[in-house]
Amino acid sequence: MSQSPQSNGASADTAAQSESRDAHLRVREEQFLRDLKADRRRQSIRQLSLNILGIVLFLAAWEATPHVIPWMNRLLFPPPSDVVGTLRELIESGELIENIRVSLLRVLNGFIIATILGTLAGLLTGRLQLLQFLSDPILHGMRSIPAIALVPLSLLWFGIGEPSKVALIAWGAFFPIWLNTYTGVRDVPPVLLRSAMSLGAGRVQTMFLVILPAALPFILVGLRQGIGIALIVLVAAELAGASSGIGYMIATSHQLFRVDIMFIGIATLGFLGYVVDRLFTLLQSYLFPWYSSGK
Amino acid sequence: MSALIDIQNVSKIYASADDSTAWALQDVSVQLHKGEFVCAIGPSGCGKTTLLNIIGGFTQPTEGKALQDGEPITAPGPDRGVVFQEYALFSWLTSRENIEFSLRVKGVPKKERRERAEHYLDLIGLRRAADRYPGELSGGMRQRVAVARALINEPEILLMDEPFAAVDAMTRATLQEELLRLWQTLGLSILFITHNIEEAAFLASRIIIMSPHPGRIKDIVSVDLPYPRDRGSPEFAAVYGRVDRAFHT
Repeated sequence: MSQSPQSNGASADTAAQSESRDAHLRVREEQFLRDLKADRRRQSIRQLSLNILGIVLFLAAWEATPHVIPWMNRLLFPPPSDVVGTLRELIESGELIENIRVSLLRVLNGFIIATILGTLAGLLTGRLQLLQFLSDPILHGMRSIPAIALVPLSLLWFGIGEPSKVALIAWGAFFPIWLNTYTGVRDVPPVLLRSAMSLGAGRVQTMFLVILPAALPFILVGLRQGIGIALIVLVAAELAGASSGIGYMIATSHQLFRVDIMFIGIATLGFLGYVVDRLFTLLQSYLFPWYSSGK
Repeated sequence: MSALIDIQNVSKIYASADDSTAWALQDVSVQLHKGEFVCAIGPSGCGKTTLLNIIGGFTQPTEGKALQDGEPITAPGPDRGVVFQEYALFSWLTSRENIEFSLRVKGVPKKERRERAEHYLDLIGLRRAADRYPGELSGGMRQRVAVARALINEPEILLMDEPFAAVDAMTRATLQEELLRLWQTLGLSILFITHNIEEAAFLASRIIIMSPHPGRIKDIVSVDLPYPRDRGSPEFAAVYGRVDRAFHT
């Protein structure tokens, strides 16, 4: 700071001057990093508190609605204060947890079957033209059938037990997984295939070391869509014919005129869908760190 | 001296979008020798990339022969290293894993793979970036990794398809100097495709000048200037002028 403007050049600096300037720069750097970190912390606290506020506002509006609107029937539109007691009962009796467990297990089993069959079918139809042309009309035709339309058939074929639900979920989740895998595999940039060939990779090696990872972003999109569809199909199957599960809980509460239980079932589905999706995203960034590292 | 690559009367027909035919190459003959740095230069449509693809084994000539050490080229292989324009690195592998790829598919043990990859990481000056993914590297760094990935097999020839076209001018000049250094220290043979006269004049010991529609070789210029070349010298300007004039005659 005490330097005159003429002594800007490094050659004019004495050792003491340059040392004191270095010290000054270090202090500024530390200050800068401290500010940056504080700023980020403030930002994430702000985000979290607004998230929580959003939930509180939603609950408050829900609570207020039957009080503010006089013709609103509390039995048809129970506020959170009514629902929370029922929720405690359902948790304490173990009924809610058991239904969640049963439903999640169905989704998991169906989804695993769909993932195996869907990626396999996508890989084969995406790489082998013969199989692609052979399967095109049938697969695309079947894809257009809403899985819900098959609920009665599935009940007839597989009965009211687990197999009918798992089969329906697998069916519904199969198509987005297959279609996205197929697209990803078909559209692997030719330059990557040429690189693999010129580096000496054989057909099978190219399939597993290049085509599969290159198509992975598409496959992940397919898996994510598949999860969403699996939850929809789950509820459809459980509403129609089941003796347990979240969908069954909703269906029976309808017959018992228990809207509060119905609300709990519906909220549980929303919550589960959200948690599963978050888990999926977390798993993705953990398993495939390169995927988020820019393009 | 027998040729490393011998292209004999090669022609290649493509179908255009409207089903008319186009000659990407017509009756092209050229030989590439061991230790040469050959640049093929020309406007788009002159068939320079087709020539590289035929030597690389990615496409077959419609007519004529493409020979490597006297044997017909039928498929791509690690004896011909290829560096593409860009986006050819495997984005799910780190720099090191990209470089190790060809050793991995050959079944080379992990320890040896790692040692050899380290050696090439040092050659391209990227040991620090060994564990970074291509998405985290600059364009110039990515192409350095691509060169190392192709070189680790010790190929007979390195085929480069406009490898520095997508990087900025300053980086390109650095990459050119580094490539020359590798060429000289490792004794490489290189076929380098470019559309940039200055690049060809700076790098090549021989320049193949091509013209489009149909793709043909117009002239072949030997460049006798010693390395490293001075882009500002009158001799350099003379080479530049000679190549430039060849396009306009």
